Amino acid sequence: MVEIEGYKVVPLRMTPDAKHCHSIYMREHFIRLMDPNKPKGRTLFLLNIPPYVTEASLKVFFKQFGKVESVQFAAKPGREETIKWYEGLDEPFSNVKAPFIFKVAYVVFEKGSSIGKALSIESLDLFNSSQECLIKTGMELWHEEYEQKYLLDPEATKKRIKLYMAGYDKRERAALEEAKTSEADADGWVTVGKEGRNAGFEQKESVIGRIENKLAKDKKTKELKNFYTFQIRESKMQNIVEMRKKFEEDKRKIELLKQSRRFKPF
Amino acid sequence: MNKTKRKQQSNKVALKRDYKSDSDSDGDADALSTNDGFVEPEQKPIISKPPQKKKKYKDNETNKVKPPTIEEMKELRDTRNLFHSNLFKLQVKEMLEELHLKSKYTDYIDKWLENFTTFTEQLEDGLMDRCQLEVPLHLHKKTINFIFSKPEQPPQLIGAASQGTLLQPNFIVDIALEMPKKCFEKDDYLNLIYDQKRALYLAYVTDKMKSSSIYREDQFAYNYYANNPLKPVLELTPFAKIGKHLKFRLFITAPVETFRLGRFVPSNNNIRPILFNDEWNLEEQPLPSTQHYNANVLFDLTLSANQSLLNKSFQGRRNFQDGLLLLKVWLRQRQLDVGFSGFSSYILAMYIVHLNQQRVLHQSSSSYQVARTVWNQLANSDWTKGISLAQQATQEQLSFVVGFYDVCFMDITGHYNLCSNVPLAVYKRVREEAKLAVDLLNDMKINSFSYIFMQKCPLYTRVDNILKITKATSVQQLLLLQNHTEMKYDYANYGYPQMLKTLTDLLEKGLAQRIHGIIPLETAVSPWSVDSKAPIIGQSIQLGLILNPEHAYEVLDRGPASQDDDEGAAEFRSFWGDKSNLRRFQDGSICEAVVWAAVKDSPAKKRLIVKDICLHLLEHHFKLDKDDVQFIANELDIVYKLSPWFKVNKLMDKTKMKEELDQNTDSEALTPNVIRCYDELSRQLHGLNDLPLEIVSISGVSPIFRYCESQPVLPQTRLLANRRIHTNHVLRVVIQLGQSGKWPNELAALRALKTAFLIEIGEKLKEQCHLNWSLTSEGLLIIKRGYCFLIELAHSKESALLKQQINERGITTYVDNPQSRDLERRHYILPKVSGALHSLHQSHSAYGPTVLIAKQWLASQLIDDGLWSPMATELLVAYLYQQRHAPFITAAPQTGFIRLLQLMSLSDWQGELFLLNFNNSWEDQQIADLEHSFRSDRESYPPLALATSYDQQHAGRLWTTDETPNRLVLNHVSKLARHALELIETNLMSKSLQFLRPAQLFRASNEGYDLVIQLKPELLANSLNYDMGSPFVDFGQPNFNLPLAGQDRLAHIVAHLRSAYSDYAAFFYKPHGGKELAIMWKPPNVFAPKAFKVNELQASTPCVGNRNQVQVSRDTLLEDFKLLLKDFYARICTTEDLKREQKQHSKPKRYFQINPKQFENESMKPKKQIHKPTKAKTKTINTKKLKGKKILLKSKPIKALV
Repeated sequence: MVEIEGYKVVPLRMTPDAKHCHSIYMREHFIRLMDPNKPKGRTLFLLNIPPYVTEASLKVFFKQFGKVESVQFAAKPGREETIKWYEGLDEPFSNVKAPFIFKVAYVVFEKGSSIGKALSIESLDLFNSSQECLIKTGMELWHEEYEQKYLLDPEATKKRIKLYMAGYDKRERAALEEAKTSEADADGWVTVGKEGRNAGFEQKESVIGRIENKLAKDKKTKELKNFYTFQIRESKMQNIVEMRKKFEEDKRKIELLKQSRRFKPF
Repeated sequence: MNKTKRKQQSNKVALKRDYKSDSDSDGDADALSTNDGFVEPEQKPIISKPPQKKKKYKDNETNKVKPPTIEEMKELRDTRNLFHSNLFKLQVKEMLEELHLKSKYTDYIDKWLENFTTFTEQLEDGLMDRCQLEVPLHLHKKTINFIFSKPEQPPQLIGAASQGTLLQPNFIVDIALEMPKKCFEKDDYLNLIYDQKRALYLAYVTDKMKSSSIYREDQFAYNYYANNPLKPVLELTPFAKIGKHLKFRLFITAPVETFRLGRFVPSNNNIRPILFNDEWNLEEQPLPSTQHYNANVLFDLTLSANQSLLNKSFQGRRNFQDGLLLLKVWLRQRQLDVGFSGFSSYILAMYIVHLNQQRVLHQSSSSYQVARTVWNQLANSDWTKGISLAQQATQEQLSFVVGFYDVCFMDITGHYNLCSNVPLAVYKRVREEAKLAVDLLNDMKINSFSYIFMQKCPLYTRVDNILKITKATSVQQLLLLQNHTEMKYDYANYGYPQMLKTLTDLLEKGLAQRIHGIIPLETAVSPWSVDSKAPIIGQSIQLGLILNPEHAYEVLDRGPASQDDDEGAAEFRSFWGDKSNLRRFQDGSICEAVVWAAVKDSPAKKRLIVKDICLHLLEHHFKLDKDDVQFIANELDIVYKLSPWFKVNKLMDKTKMKEELDQNTDSEALTPNVIRCYDELSRQLHGLNDLPLEIVSISGVSPIFRYCESQPVLPQTRLLANRRIHTNHVLRVVIQLGQSGKWPNELAALRALKTAFLIEIGEKLKEQCHLNWSLTSEGLLIIKRGYCFLIELAHSKESALLKQQINERGITTYVDNPQSRDLERRHYILPKVSGALHSLHQSHSAYGPTVLIAKQWLASQLIDDGLWSPMATELLVAYLYQQRHAPFITAAPQTGFIRLLQLMSLSDWQGELFLLNFNNSWEDQQIADLEHSFRSDRESYPPLALATSYDQQHAGRLWTTDETPNRLVLNHVSKLARHALELIETNLMSKSLQFLRPAQLFRASNEGYDLVIQLKPELLANSLNYDMGSPFVDFGQPNFNLPLAGQDRLAHIVAHLRSAYSDYAAFFYKPHGGKELAIMWKPPNVFAPKAFKVNELQASTPCVGNRNQVQVSRDTLLEDFKLLLKDFYARICTTEDLKREQKQHSKPKRYFQINPKQFENESMKPKKQIHKPTKAKTKTINTKKLKGKKILLKSKPIKALV
């Protein structure tokens, strides 16, 4: 029974006779600011999960201690890390893959009592009763990935697209409707859409930038420059200051180059 | 005040030098450089002014700017007008400061000269008998009476030392000692007697010096000045520590009044044929003129006159001295001043004097202006018409002299031609380099400092092909058969210039417009001890050919029409021998012509035409066999050839192809087939009916579409019964559709629609063009004529949606992120760059093959695409093919590769941004901004920064990342390049060695790896390229199984391993056909026990002893590797194991047992095939040798990486 700083250390065995195993560090998940997805008292926190371990395999293993609600990964412990890990993964038609690195895992049980049982294990075994590894690796995995992820069946894909686009159209229409009705909300604010009579300008950075530029330009044209003597003097002074600045800058560069001995031709 | 000070000074400094002007010529420089804005380095006051001012300005904090002094204003403004920037000016200044001679050297030289003067004064007249040393001259010696008489004039500093322009790192101080006139008799100018007396005099003085107490400990050696066997000099290395960097060189000269200078006019003969026991019929023809020998004597006679002219012009003029220093650095970096035919810096110094005389150079020009004016004048000069320093020289005199020399630059006396030994080609070369320098200076867009002064450009990298004749017998034969006997007397029987002249004449005539020039590549003779005999030199020659890419590879030389010009035709026939045939041309004429290759031949074969011509001419005219000479042209082209193990016939039978494929082909020759197929496909795509939106643009983005695919792409793609596509290469094509406002505003929906479109295109292609297709998550796979294309759909909205963010004010902004940048690169920028590179290849046909060699080289060094972005190679090579690098862009891929190695080995990756301004589309301001941002924010750019003018806001960060290559890999590649270059250089310049076997370069070392994982060889296909073998195991049975389309297993798995384990180990493999994965553990401290920290627990287990510490265990990681490579690896072992195995088994061990005999047959047969056309070229890779014996490992071990 090894324990370090409150973490229980168990070996991760991929086969029953594995000798050199990774150590998994586990404890009950507990932090002050609780995440609703990792509820207090029901979440087991695991450190140092090797990159090839999958959510499904952990779920299968921990099932023996009670029903598992979810298994979530993250690159490192932290509040936003889980969200970052899964970002873009569930998006349809995208090629984003989860990073292949050492990670941490959060196992959420349905019942708090499972945690105690889980913490009493001797080793974390990712093989089933017939001693087959729960994780596909090597050729098997690549073959599966190629067949299922890389190649797409045209007919099935077409169906998926149709379904997705129908959903999208529905959402779009709803949003449009909402924009048209434009009723005041509880605070009295009205959302102005792109269409309709009272359409505001687009809230884009470029559009706003353009308007601001125009304002600044208008202001400038009204001003007189290089008219009064003091202005001329000032601009001359500015000129000199700039030239000196450039000179200084170049000198600094040279200083840098000199340090790296770039002036010896041979 | 300055002026008075200056006067005093010039009085004081008087005749000698003023090295010491550092301290006391401040005022001087000030007065000199008032007009030009270039402040000489000594001018400390002004330099230190600005910082003071700035300080004051800051201290006051009253927003008042201190009024600028007039000088400061002038300086600031002048830099702006005269230089591109302060930077250039400051760089030049720093370099000059670096170059200036330290006072410890000048003091030493002064003292030494003083001592030497007293030494010579103590010399006494005497007979030669007592002299023990060998005479440093190799001649038909006739005993002559020689009595030594002591010098009447004190020894004098000459050349660089007298002008204060000694150049690092080895200072050579030239000293001239004048023989008194009474040493000579009236007729001594004849038949080399002068030269013998000169050598005897030198031997006598050396002998005396050696026995004198002052010089006893010094090192004595003789050498030939400028590889000239008639000009022996004494090289004396002082015993003191200073001798590491300093050498004295003693010249013996004669006073000008020794002989009448008129005896040495070029048309006179001063070496009678009788001297060499030759017969000469005076009645038939007059005695041959000996203009070169005459110049040789005149050099000594006029030396003091010329020297005093130099002294007059240079002493006390720091600006001229510095200008000359700049020019000398420039010349030395280009190696144009080496050897007998070199363009020495002495000529440059004289040219400065000449320009000063002509009032082109003003007394007060700054050093920068001096250099610039010289380049400018040189670039536009024509010395073949002759120029002269002599005041009274008339045009007739000049034009008389011009007839005897290639290049003519007369000295102050009007008799000696300073350029007498400079061949026309070398002069032209210098002129072109000067022109390039001026162009670089004029180009405001780049800072050309390092191109001009810092970068070494050895001459051999500037030539395309090299002809070497090093065998003594060949040289003899050449000299015997050459038909200009008069040259023998002219050069006093020195073989080298005779060969040079004969060969250049012949080759220039034969190659005509195929070449820009033929340049001699010389190496300086090394000194020999004073006790041994003078060596015979000039027994070998190396010529560099600069090809003219427009004409070099033309297949036919057309002679005169036989019916019109009978004489010409006969001459043509006799010149070309049996190669010349009568041919009828399309315009109806019947001409003599020589045909070198067929029009349809592969480009690699056509590149051998020049070689064939040269070899033929040498054989025809001098009976020199192929084996007697070496012609280095395209030895390395073999690396992108198709492997002889792969049988093209079988492929053709299997696929029933219409096109004929040649077994003896290469990646370059196969590319046009692919491009043709692609063009056809794009026509079909454009012609598709009933698509909802039109296809508006189609662009191929795979390397093959820009001739950069090093692997041969053959039409091998197969569609199996289970609808799976097998292919080696997936050729990526990006298409864009016409405008439409109806695309959705959501990323997933947009992608869904894109996929739908691709399916639509696939179905239409099947329906209308009968092409098979298949859908993948990356795009649409299409098989056409045995090639497999992957079509991706680009839509501008996709990148916009990727960039879209809504900030806290509810405003939509577009922010670049890695994904959007990647998408933009793939879909928009890469097609443009690809197009630009394609057109680059069209204009410089050597670009593509250079990239192929480079890619193969990197691959062979186990640098795969995950370590080094392949685009980086392509762009770096493209960078070399820009005009600025050499006056002539190389037409030979091998030279291109050598230049790339040079770039890689010398570049300052940290400080340099490689900018490819395609079509010159970037403005000065944009470039300046980019450079500025690069300099000030270096850390945000990847270690190797490449930018093209299409990169928009991503410039510098698009083609490489922090990881491909990272700093370690970059340094490693630099090191490898340096090593490869060294190898090439020694082989090229050596007189005895053959050019290297490609396997020496294209096979990595197996040193330094901790583990090697051997993968199952049947699961990995071999490269279709000519295989140089793996560094770890011997050749196995190759397999050419086709992998599934779009699946590169090894790359895939290594990417995974790197992403997970790169903190603990580095992974290497050979990208094409490598069957081993080499692993190197990171340094031990990574595996040391460390404290328990939640965020640093990766891969760690608790230590056995100390329960509170954890550590990473290699064994566990190894288990991980095994797990991840399940069913894929054969075994894991160390390199030592492998080596031991190789030694133990006389027969190499293989994974699968095959009958050795059978293997023998297999390996030998293809070898013959591939070598047939190039048999004589070099001894290329010999499979037998590689197999059995321990292989010579030439590449550097990789240890440096960690």
